[in-house]
Amino acid sequence: MSTYRPRGERGPLASFGLHAGLLIAVAISLFPVVWLVLTSLKPRDGWLSSELRLFDGSSLDNYARVLTATEFPRWLLNSVLTAGLTMVAGVFLAATTGYAVSRFRFPGHRGVMWLLLVTQMFPVAILIVPLYNLMAGLGLLNQIPGLVIAYMTIAVPFCAWMMKSYFDTVPIEIDQAGLVDGLTPFGVFRRVVLPLARPGIAVTAFYCFMTAWGEVGYATVFMSQEDKRTLGVGLQQFIGQHWSDWGLMTASAVLIAIPAGAVFLLVQRHLVTGLTAGATKA
Amino acid sequence: MTVSTRSAAAAGQGAGGSRGPGRRRERPGRLRRSFAAHWYAWAMVAPVLVVMLVLIGWPLARGVYLSLTDANEANIGRTIGVNVIPSTYEFVGLDNYLRILTSGLFWDKLTWTVIWTVVCVAAHYGIGLALAVMLNRRLRFRSVYRVLLILPWAVPAFVAAFIWRYLYNSDYGVINGMLELAGLGPVGWLDEPATARIAVIAVNVWIGVPFMMVALLGGLQSIPAELYEAAEVDGAGPWQRFRAITLPGLRQVSSTVILLGTIWTFNMFPIIFLVTRGGPGSETEILVTYAFREAFTGVRDYSGSAAWGVIILLMLVVLAVGYRRTLRSQGDPW
Amino acid sequence: MRRLFPAVLPAATVLASLTLAVAACGGGGGGGEPAAPAASVSDPTKITGEVTWWDTTRPDSEGPTFQALIKEFEAAYPGIKVTYVNVPSDQAQNQFQTAAQAGSGAPDVIRSEVAWTSQFASLGYLQPLDGTRAVDRPDDFLPGPLSSTKYNGKTYAVPQVTDTLALIYNKRLLKEAGHEEPPKTVAELKQTALDVKAKTGAEGLALNVDSYFLLPFIYGEGGDLLDVQSKKIVIDSPANVKAMQTVSDLISSGAAPKPATTESYANAMTALKEGKAAMIYNGPWALSEIYQGKEFKDKQNLGIAPVPAGSVKAAAPTGGWNLAIYAGSKNIPAAYEFVRFMTTQKAQAKIAKEISLLPTRTSAYADPDVQGNRDVAVFKPIMDTAVPRPWIPEGGQLFQPLLEGYQDLVGGKSAPADMLKKVSEQYHGIMKDWS
Repeated sequence: MSTYRPRGERGPLASFGLHAGLLIAVAISLFPVVWLVLTSLKPRDGWLSSELRLFDGSSLDNYARVLTATEFPRWLLNSVLTAGLTMVAGVFLAATTGYAVSRFRFPGHRGVMWLLLVTQMFPVAILIVPLYNLMAGLGLLNQIPGLVIAYMTIAVPFCAWMMKSYFDTVPIEIDQAGLVDGLTPFGVFRRVVLPLARPGIAVTAFYCFMTAWGEVGYATVFMSQEDKRTLGVGLQQFIGQHWSDWGLMTASAVLIAIPAGAVFLLVQRHLVTGLTAGATKA
Repeated sequence: MTVSTRSAAAAGQGAGGSRGPGRRRERPGRLRRSFAAHWYAWAMVAPVLVVMLVLIGWPLARGVYLSLTDANEANIGRTIGVNVIPSTYEFVGLDNYLRILTSGLFWDKLTWTVIWTVVCVAAHYGIGLALAVMLNRRLRFRSVYRVLLILPWAVPAFVAAFIWRYLYNSDYGVINGMLELAGLGPVGWLDEPATARIAVIAVNVWIGVPFMMVALLGGLQSIPAELYEAAEVDGAGPWQRFRAITLPGLRQVSSTVILLGTIWTFNMFPIIFLVTRGGPGSETEILVTYAFREAFTGVRDYSGSAAWGVIILLMLVVLAVGYRRTLRSQGDPW
Repeated sequence: MRRLFPAVLPAATVLASLTLAVAACGGGGGGGEPAAPAASVSDPTKITGEVTWWDTTRPDSEGPTFQALIKEFEAAYPGIKVTYVNVPSDQAQNQFQTAAQAGSGAPDVIRSEVAWTSQFASLGYLQPLDGTRAVDRPDDFLPGPLSSTKYNGKTYAVPQVTDTLALIYNKRLLKEAGHEEPPKTVAELKQTALDVKAKTGAEGLALNVDSYFLLPFIYGEGGDLLDVQSKKIVIDSPANVKAMQTVSDLISSGAAPKPATTESYANAMTALKEGKAAMIYNGPWALSEIYQGKEFKDKQNLGIAPVPAGSVKAAAPTGGWNLAIYAGSKNIPAAYEFVRFMTTQKAQAKIAKEISLLPTRTSAYADPDVQGNRDVAVFKPIMDTAVPRPWIPEGGQLFQPLLEGYQDLVGGKSAPADMLKKVSEQYHGIMKDWS
């Protein structure tokens, strides 16, 4: 990473300003999350109190209730499976497509690029019913693979786009060398280019995972069976129109954010380079 | 790298294109090779194409057809157990489109959607850029700041929407609690049209800034430091350097993320749907949430929802084409 | 789809198994429950199948009672397996429609809100139930709930529970404000609320910005949303304008604090539970939640009274839930038995006793278990004056425009007459052939 460093050292005032600015930003970005955690530690109805209290009879009761009195573990398993599969399939599809679009000028190349862009434009909310009918026709309702396929339509277009940008930064000469060595284009892709594109793949994986992890719309309609629900669907049981259990809601929200945060910490090192390295291709 | 010695030989192969303008010139004698290349390319994009065409293409084609009829849940023919419903919907041409485009509501919602999109994307980009520039300086705790600032990205959108709804609660929310501590009266954040609009924009900005920040930070880091050094030697001030080096250097990233951001924000369903449900009244309803409500409450209006979908899609396609054309006319190979 | 059962089993077996079923319902007593005519068909307890049921109740407080009933059902019908699925009530309608139109993924039995039933029926999603084993002694059902199961003269559902709105209040706060009796008219309501506010420091009335909760005010002035007889939209009638003025006067006079429009229900309920507000309009479904509040640890502190009268009468809407069978179900005979079982007098009595939901059978109110439940006893007379809503397929669509209007009214964005005019325009858009 090439960091720009001014030759003249920053004055103390500028340093202070820089840190102050960042601290304010961090405060804003963290506050809702922190408040979520604090609320989850309060008693069941603790969230509804007009007095501001950071701690109010803190306990892990809500967590205990979520883990023992609800189907949370089952939902978690389903979510992990769904997000994991989406991640694997998404990375595979995005990488192959991205590579093809980055390297080969085949007829229909532009068409594919546009398709990837246009797919993201179609409002999901309006797509749900036709897609449901399609899934019903294919017998994929209440099946994790069915949901994963639906998530492909959300995650893959953007990821393929991102992978293309990333592959663009990998010098073409490397491919050509591989070809000269007698590898097929598939071989070049798998053995030579893919290992070089690890940051790009990390970002793609993160994005696919997050897409599946936090999606609610498709999951709600496609997974009506109780034992097939994912976290997003299950969680809605805690907040109804006419009643709500914010204790359960906040505790499970925290539990949901933990795996997402873990995946995030694993890849965050690559996020910055992976996301845009290609698009800038200095 | 081992390739360097072979690159000269490989360059003549023309197996693929190079990047940037003026790429790919297949030489006549290499037709077979290029065919082979195409075959591989097609094999690689085929899975995505099949999935997209089936899952998006088919509903889209059917949607376009339905949008030209008066089909709804009551007149599409089907047999359910003992109940047989005959198919009685008819072709009505462009009626649905005319009805939507001539309704005042559509234009109201479009205006708000445009404001929502522009304000959100501008804030995403502006704040994202400011934070990226700050993080691109050498400073202590930089990676800590970076991790903490990206964190909202790891919070699923629906969870974020619930948290914020709770923060905004007029009687029990933290924001009003703090206002009261400061001696100010409570604000019915989600109860008044103006504050509700500000509130949903704030939520979306909170969610969207990390992505922009990361993308722009990546862009900043790929700008060679020598450029800045040279500019400094030439006596350029910080602002001049920002304008002359940073902004042009970010052009590629910016054009991509702004386009994507616009598309995503335009279609941002969960935030509005979960935070305000479109209320108060239908003041915070954007086109997508409004179309959803129109189409899916009561007896479903399939033709109407399809027409809404097609209109939204067309607007975005026109936007994207126009955007790319502008960029290209300014010499951007995108 | 419908299957006829070969009548092969001797009548004795039938009788024996029916007795078993009754015993499984939770102990002798009651009597007169099993229907004699069924004996001529076959032995229903030998039916096999799997029934998926979408329940819409609150999973933590109400769900267990229904799950217990399912256990009893499965014990009585060993061949039938019931899959219980809890779908939040605000999503069930949409999800059922999506699944039903696709012909896949829909449940066999759905707990359908009274307003959804005619809509589902009009779309062909529901199995007609006239003359089937699902409906037992139809004349025993209360007329209001029963009317909600009819569409075009046919029966498409069986009433499960009914409800209405009442004025629910904190006795201690009213007493401190000098009122032993709950208000009987809207004028008294305003005065009581102002007294509470002045003398106790708590708020008087907590309003919930939801169109359903406007109906008592509308009915109170003699108004309604529609005139079904003459197919007229009457939402902007002078009576309704008066009703809206009443509501806005309650807010502007300070009798009710300006309500939140999001989380409106939760905020109003919390205010009552914490003793921050003295009165609220709500139904029997809310009682189990209210008793969790710190003000009502002593249940005697909770008062329930009929909704205050407007200038014409005191009336609240009939609500409630029906059980309906999906026409595309592969297990219709089993579903008939399940619906029948869940709506017996015994089952209703158990539900009323445990979770205070009101039975739809006249005979159930004579049950000692039901009579022993204080809340049901209080709600029963209120129920008798409840006004059935117009059960038309579009009924479910009427609430969103009115809700938006209510929010505008509360926000001070539009005056009562303007707001109703706007709602009326939207109604005309929904029901094109109405005048």
